[in-house]
Amino acid sequence: MARIELRNVVKRYGSFTGVRRMDLDIADEEFLVLLGPSGCGKTTTMRMIAGLEEPSEGEVVIGGEVVNEVDARDRDVAMVFQGYALYPNMSIYENIRFPLRMRGIGKSDQDALIRRAAEMVELGDFLDRKPGALSGGQRQRAALARAVVRQPQVFLMDEPLSNLDAKLRSSMRVQIKHLQRQLRITTVYVTHDQIEAMTLADRIVIMEKGVIRQIGTPDEIYSDPADTFVAGFIGAPPMNLVEGKAENGRFTAPGLVAACPPDISGRITLGVRPEDCRVVTDGPAELAGAVYGVEPTGETTYLTLRTGETLFEVKAARDARFDLGAPVKICFDPERIYFFDTETGVRLRAQPQRSAA
Amino acid sequence: MEKRRKSKGDNLVLRYLVLGSWALFCLVPILWFLSIGFRPRTEIITPEPIYWPTFSLDAWRLLLADWPIFDYLRNSVVAVTGSVVIDLILGIPAAYSLTRYEYRGRDDIGFYILSTRMMAPAIVAIPIFFLFRNMGLLDSVWALMLIYAAVNLSIVVWIIRSYMLDIPKELEDAARTDGAGDLRILWEIIIPACLPGIITASVIAAIFAINEFLFTLLIASTKSAYTMSVALANFTGGSDGVIYNAIALVSFLAFLPILVLIVLIQKHLSRGLTMGAVKG
Amino acid sequence: MAVLDQTGGVARAAPDRARPREKALRRRSSALRRAFPYLLVAPAVIYLLGITLYPGAYAIYQSFYLVRFTEWIPVGFDNYVELWSDSEFWQALLNTLIIGGIALALECVIAMALAFFAYRDALIRVWRIVFLMPMLFMPSAVAFVWKLAFNDGRVISDLLRKIGLIDGNLDFLGNVWLARSTLIVADLWQWTPFLFIIFVAALQSQDQEVEEAARLDGASWPAIFWNVSLPMIRPVIAVAVVLRGIDITTMFTNVFILTKGTPGGTTETISYFIYRQGFQTFNFGYASAAAVVMLVVTILAAQLVVKRAFRSGKA
Repeated sequence: MARIELRNVVKRYGSFTGVRRMDLDIADEEFLVLLGPSGCGKTTTMRMIAGLEEPSEGEVVIGGEVVNEVDARDRDVAMVFQGYALYPNMSIYENIRFPLRMRGIGKSDQDALIRRAAEMVELGDFLDRKPGALSGGQRQRAALARAVVRQPQVFLMDEPLSNLDAKLRSSMRVQIKHLQRQLRITTVYVTHDQIEAMTLADRIVIMEKGVIRQIGTPDEIYSDPADTFVAGFIGAPPMNLVEGKAENGRFTAPGLVAACPPDISGRITLGVRPEDCRVVTDGPAELAGAVYGVEPTGETTYLTLRTGETLFEVKAARDARFDLGAPVKICFDPERIYFFDTETGVRLRAQPQRSAA
Repeated sequence: MEKRRKSKGDNLVLRYLVLGSWALFCLVPILWFLSIGFRPRTEIITPEPIYWPTFSLDAWRLLLADWPIFDYLRNSVVAVTGSVVIDLILGIPAAYSLTRYEYRGRDDIGFYILSTRMMAPAIVAIPIFFLFRNMGLLDSVWALMLIYAAVNLSIVVWIIRSYMLDIPKELEDAARTDGAGDLRILWEIIIPACLPGIITASVIAAIFAINEFLFTLLIASTKSAYTMSVALANFTGGSDGVIYNAIALVSFLAFLPILVLIVLIQKHLSRGLTMGAVKG
Repeated sequence: MAVLDQTGGVARAAPDRARPREKALRRRSSALRRAFPYLLVAPAVIYLLGITLYPGAYAIYQSFYLVRFTEWIPVGFDNYVELWSDSEFWQALLNTLIIGGIALALECVIAMALAFFAYRDALIRVWRIVFLMPMLFMPSAVAFVWKLAFNDGRVISDLLRKIGLIDGNLDFLGNVWLARSTLIVADLWQWTPFLFIIFVAALQSQDQEVEEAARLDGASWPAIFWNVSLPMIRPVIAVAVVLRGIDITTMFTNVFILTKGTPGGTTETISYFIYRQGFQTFNFGYASAAAVVMLVVTILAAQLVVKRAFRSGKA
């Protein structure tokens, strides 16, 4: 129901710049995730959309209207907070009713809307309780119901799941995505958890130090990272990044030799994901190292190798067993090796048209 | 091997000796006080102190007959309650402003408010006396109400401020995006959430107001403004000298409601007494 | 999740009714926005200025006059000059420091000792209420109890005689140190609880794990208290002592009822000095000059000590 645009938005706090020159276009009904480490400006960006912070420069546009001067209360956005932000002195029913009351929605209509919203998050039986009497997951669902009840133009979610335990988090994730698809309300979601970002987003915006590093679908972000920051941030365990030298189509680093496009040379960082490596017993291999650690997760086994000064992680077979210190050889998937300029971190592409950008 | 006690250096005898003797030091004067209140006037000032007096309701009779106790009580209640109401009306918005907004001069304003707590009553006593005289407010309960409110306003602001600081900012952001304006957020979200702080501040302000002495002494001169606190001091005039049993009785009666109030806010007491600087 | 699908369809139908948003978006006035926090704090500040700035200015103004009933005669700095050479004024200042200093030091030590023994005790709730009680009595009434005990009723003398420390009666108003000690004891009895309550709360709310770690390291309780607990609650101690210190230097009620400054002005505090000059000898200009001096000291103390204590206390 609403498209959101940020045009040239800057946010400064005194001499510190929280967000620098940001342009962002969020389509109607899109689920957009702002992802980045803490302090990267993602929450500030969301708060500017909400109207809780004013941009120092630039324009925030919601539904075609510049809303810089419009107070948060009049923007028709609903927000879900990390700490739930339920009003402690009100029952859950009263909490969900609050935004309706503030918007002057007739008493006769309120009850049906509240019950419907509570049903959507399966909280129908808890309406009389105070927030203090609910569990973390229930509280978060109450906060969702409060956001959903008035059918806003925009949903804003600020790390809504990070106070929940891991199991609850994944079930809430599904629920949030389902709700968003069902209500088809433009949603901006802030998180530092890349799994959340990958699973929820239509598009992900990766930010660092107030700057957008890459915008793309989860698949693009994963398989076509724009720089070492994105490459290292996405994926668990993250992509291996090894600094070395490239010359005449050969990349070399201590314990590592790999083929690289002939037009790449100089100080280069090679990147390869643990899942794109293979342990080999003989034959040619890119990397040789000694076993440093073995971590079976049940589903698979992660193997950490030491080559020279660096640690290198590899996804091995589920039943793979290694002795500490044993020599191991690793082969890379040639289609899935990335090269970056060590100096700038920027991705170097031999054949620009190859990947799905 | 020697079996050690669980906590080393923990001498229980010493501990209870110290705590017990201080408890005695606290309680004996109170009990003695009580015994003064219920003894005949003839057994108060004697060549040898009397430790086991005859029980008597002399003081009661004196209070009810000769002493306009209900006037004093009414004055105390009106002046104290009124002052607390003024403090809350002025103090809650001020505390809200000091906690929830960023603006130039905020910290200086906050410190100015705090620093009025440091002002000795004697410094301003004379000007205040003249001020009220010129306004025709001498010997008036309203003057007392105004002055008590002023004396305690800094305490009220700082205590409430401390509790407001504990309310997560998110709560306010949520209310704002839900469509509430500043005053409504204050009224519907912030005030309910810091109610313990408001109650603590009120109780402490009330106790200080009940006990206020110097200003009351200057402003009140007849039973139309005498509060309990100063009326006691004037229980000394006349040919009878100090009427100790009446004083003891009255102050014991005043002690009981204060004790109840304090027990009610016990958990918040240290925070209140330090104007919010200590979270107990 | 089947439930969600069912209700979802219904909810989709509602939005148009739920949102009357056809009117233009309300723009906020930035001037009002900026002024709003000032407007909230202004009434309190104006009210306080009324009892600080106005009286302060009035006192300064009055301190340059000789006030005789309704007649005001300008005398320039005479009041201050006289004050400077007035031994009674210096005596009052000294008395305030001596009586206040001794009482404050004793209260601190006693309150800390009591807190040390009480805060881990099973009966802590009992101790708290019992120790608190003296603070809840009206100070003026308490002053009378002590007056009766020390002077009029001679109870203290009698008790001391019974345990054989003295013979005859002590005249508590006739001796400098006896008179001062009555004020100190009275203050001690009523206000040690103030510090005790705060110290205990601070000790109880400190991080237990640190103490436990020290215990596992083999430290004794006194050692833990001295080396671990005490340093941790130092900011709290600072705030409490500063607040108590301020109140003690404005001591008036006890002096007014118990000693009236006797003997020979050795128990007269600054507050009582100002009161006596103003309301007993009606020398208002002179009293105001003394008040101005006290005001200056207060402002200095507030800037230097209180600000720092409260800054660190908030941590």
